[in-house]
Formats: sequence, structure tokens, C-alpha cells
Amino acid sequence: MKHLETLRKELGITEPWAESRGTWWLNPGTMSVRHVAKVMNEMHARFITITAYQLPGTEGFRLEYHWDLYGRLLGLPFTIAGNAIDSIFDICEAADWIEREIHEEYSLDFTGRVCAPLLLRKGDESGVNLREVAVNPAPAAQAQKEVAQ
Amino acid sequence: MSYRIPMGPYHPGLEEPYKLDMICEGETVQDAELNIGFNFRGIEHLAETRNYYQVIALMERVCGICSFIHTLTLCQAMEKLAGLEAPPRAKYIRVVMAELERLHSHVLWAGIAAKLMGFKTMFMTCFALREKVMDVLQAISGNRVNYSMNRVGGVNRDVEDPLALIPLIDELEREMTRTVIPIFTTSSTAASRCAGIGVLTPEKAVSCAVVGPMARASGINQDLRRDAPYAAYEEMKFEVPVEPSGDVKARLLVRALEILQSCNILRQALTNMPPGEVSVGGDKFAFVTGTATSRVEAPRGEVMYSVSWKEGSRNPARVHVRTPTYVNMPAVRWMVRGARLADTPLIQASIDPCYSCTDR
Repeated sequence: MKHLETLRKELGITEPWAESRGTWWLNPGTMSVRHVAKVMNEMHARFITITAYQLPGTEGFRLEYHWDLYGRLLGLPFTIAGNAIDSIFDICEAADWIEREIHEEYSLDFTGRVCAPLLLRKGDESGVNLREVAVNPAPAAQAQKEVAQ
Repeated sequence: MSYRIPMGPYHPGLEEPYKLDMICEGETVQDAELNIGFNFRGIEHLAETRNYYQVIALMERVCGICSFIHTLTLCQAMEKLAGLEAPPRAKYIRVVMAELERLHSHVLWAGIAAKLMGFKTMFMTCFALREKVMDVLQAISGNRVNYSMNRVGGVNRDVEDPLALIPLIDELEREMTRTVIPIFTTSSTAASRCAGIGVLTPEKAVSCAVVGPMARASGINQDLRRDAPYAAYEEMKFEVPVEPSGDVKARLLVRALEILQSCNILRQALTNMPPGEVSVGGDKFAFVTGTATSRVEAPRGEVMYSVSWKEGSRNPARVHVRTPTYVNMPAVRWMVRGARLADTPLIQASIDPCYSCTDR
């Protein structure tokens, strides 16, 4: 708990940690993800991954950033209304592939870096795999959607 | 003059389909670029179209070697959403299966590493040993791969006579101690091929956030079985081998020592397995709206699943899989820099890459 409290103070967040199903969540509010990544580095937290969720309708996306701090799984959710969020790749090189993958799956942009070429499907278009409404629906993606339905 | 050498996606020096584009100066690698995605199957998207039984069978196919680990991680996350806890006996069976899978994976890797070192006899010895591990897995689950052991709320099959498996574990450990481990740890051929090559410094290992034996071979003392115990690991006594040098030899040593630790854990789990049910919750499950995460220490390192559900739905809304090779592989770029071209197959193999997992 001591490390968590130190981390919360370093981040400058007043809201307490909330433990849910084994993950320690902290609401970063309007804080920049780059500031969070810098503090995590200073606290020697290990970056794990980013999980992206598309919110219903036009609400945007929720990106959950996960770190490990001395065996505790931390989660910091960032909600984005548009299609872009700051990249943390230059601060945390372990975020490289997952940022590229999210760009590929959801057509989200990570500002401050280039995500080309696509990580898993080179030469294809971004946003045709997991994004509910494809940015440029490719014929293959449309067919896949019909099969799924 | 520098030149570019592509290795892969199909190459005799690689066991898995990926591509390493190396920029060389003479015989020395200056830089490398990694290309993946040759095994992409869209499993995360498929998972959204499967119900809570089908999704377990689907995620078992993410990896051929760690199939149990993937369903364990998924089921642990789904149990959190269903408000269930596996009974104690099921947790012990999960430990037994997970450690057998680690043995299977490490021995298979040892065989491949031996082959790349030019130790063909050792390759055959390791694969003969691996067969014995597979026999134990088959005796428990009925299957050699894709064991179908995990379910939401426990496991599908009981281990009827756990003590009867101990002689098999003893024999395995004897063979490992008699042949595999001495050759890997003391042979001059292994040392000359592995010592000082493919070094990943502790600083770079931290920066790349590598996991599993690769992290432990770079001096990072981390293991989820000890740091964030799941299943019945809290009740097991074991050591976490750590080597500081970060070279291929260190990765070899860490895995060799982990084989012995796995035998130790297996003996404890089989001896102390508590009686009782192996599953709870019946056949129908109600998942609450929300997200649950689960982490497990796979043979190659940390696997993490994030599972999201909408109440009343039979299908998950989202399943995100973060596999160990996905974080370990980018570090290969730093490991091959300055290495001899001839060493690169062994260097990349030393991370024990799995592209079935990575590409999903």
C-alpha cells in the first residue's frame, strides 16, 4: 500500500485507489497520459499493456493503461472522445507494439509518433479488425461482419 | 559497406514464422528490424462472437504449447466476473497442469537450443524427455495438447490418484539432473556458443519491460507465481532462479534451474492435493457488466487477459490478450546489435519466441 500511496501523491491525484477484481484502479481525470508514464518510470513500475475498448455510439474510446508495481496490477483508464491520444512510446519503449496494434485495430492515432507500417497486417487498412464501424470498410471486413452476425 | 539480410518468415534458422531484417557490416549485425503478423488469425475479434463455453475452446488455440495457461488466465478473469472461486482441489490441479506445461515448454526449448548449438544428440535426448512429460499430461487430461482442462469455476477432470504420478516426476527430474542440466551448465561447447552473446543488459530489460525467464536472466527478480500468486501457488515453496549476465547462457541456466523448481512444485502439489470438488457453479453462468483482468506466469513469462462483459450476454464484449513474446521480442533488436550473423538464430531462439501467441 505504501508504494501505491507514494505513486498517487507523485501523480498529484487526490482520489484514492479503488481495488476491483484484483486490479488497483486510479482515475487520472484530465491528466496527460505522458505525465502518468513519466511518473511510472520514476517509480520503477513495469509497463504491461494498453487495452482499448470502443464505447457505445459516438462516445469514443476507453484506453486502460496497465502497469505492475511490486506485483500489484495497476489500471489507469483514459477516455478519449476523438480519434487521438498522446503517444508514450518515447517515454516507455515497451508501449511501441501495443500502440501500433491499437492504431491498427481501432484506427486511433497516437500523437507524436508514426504507427506505419501496420504491425500485424501490413498493407491493409487500419480500423477494420476490432472497430465497430470501420473507417474505410474494406470488402473483406464487411464480409467478416456479415458472417459474424 | 553495409548490406541487408532478411531472415524469415520461412527460414531454416527460425522455428517460427517471423522476419528479421538485419543490417550487417561484414559479419557483424548493426541493427535489425522485426516483422510479425504472419500467423494473424483475428482471435480477439472471433472471441466476441463466441459464447462462454466456446470462447474457452477458442482461446486454448491461441498457443499450442501454453494452451492450458491461456484457458487458465481466461477462466480466472471470467470467474471474477461471475463471482466464483475455484475449489481448493481445482487450484492444485491447475498448478500441476501449469507446471507440467512449463516442463514441456522448457524441455522443448532446450532441444531446439541444442539443435541450434550443433548438439543434435542433445536435441533427440530433450525430445525423448519431452515425450515423458507429454505422457503425464495425457494421463491427466487424455490429450497431448489442447487439454480442455479449464472451465469457469474449476477444472473439467480430476486427478484420480495424484501420488501415482510422483514416480514419473522423479524419473523426469533424474533424467534432467543426469543429462540435460550438466551438459547445458558445464559443457565447454554450450559455454562457447552461449556465453557473452545476445546480451540484454538489466537497464535495457527494464526499459523493454521484458518478462519471464528472459527478465530473470537479465537480473530482474520477478515471477508472478511468487509476487502475485494465483491458483494454489501461495501454498507452494520454491525459489526463483535469477542470473545477472543477460546473455544466452544465462537464459539457458535460468530455464534449466526452473525445470528443477517445477519438479519440486509438482511434487508438493501432488502430495498435498486436498480432497473435494473440482468445480463449482454448475453449467450456467451469469456475468456482471464490467472488466476483469487476470495474470499468469506462463513458461515464457507473464500472460495477461482483460475480459469485458455486458450483463445478460452470452458472449464477451472484448477479450484482450497480452502474451509474453509480444513484449520480449522487440528486445531482440538490442540483443543482436554487435552480434555475429551466425549467432543470430541462437540469440532469437534464446527468448523462446512463440508467434502463435504473438500474432493471435
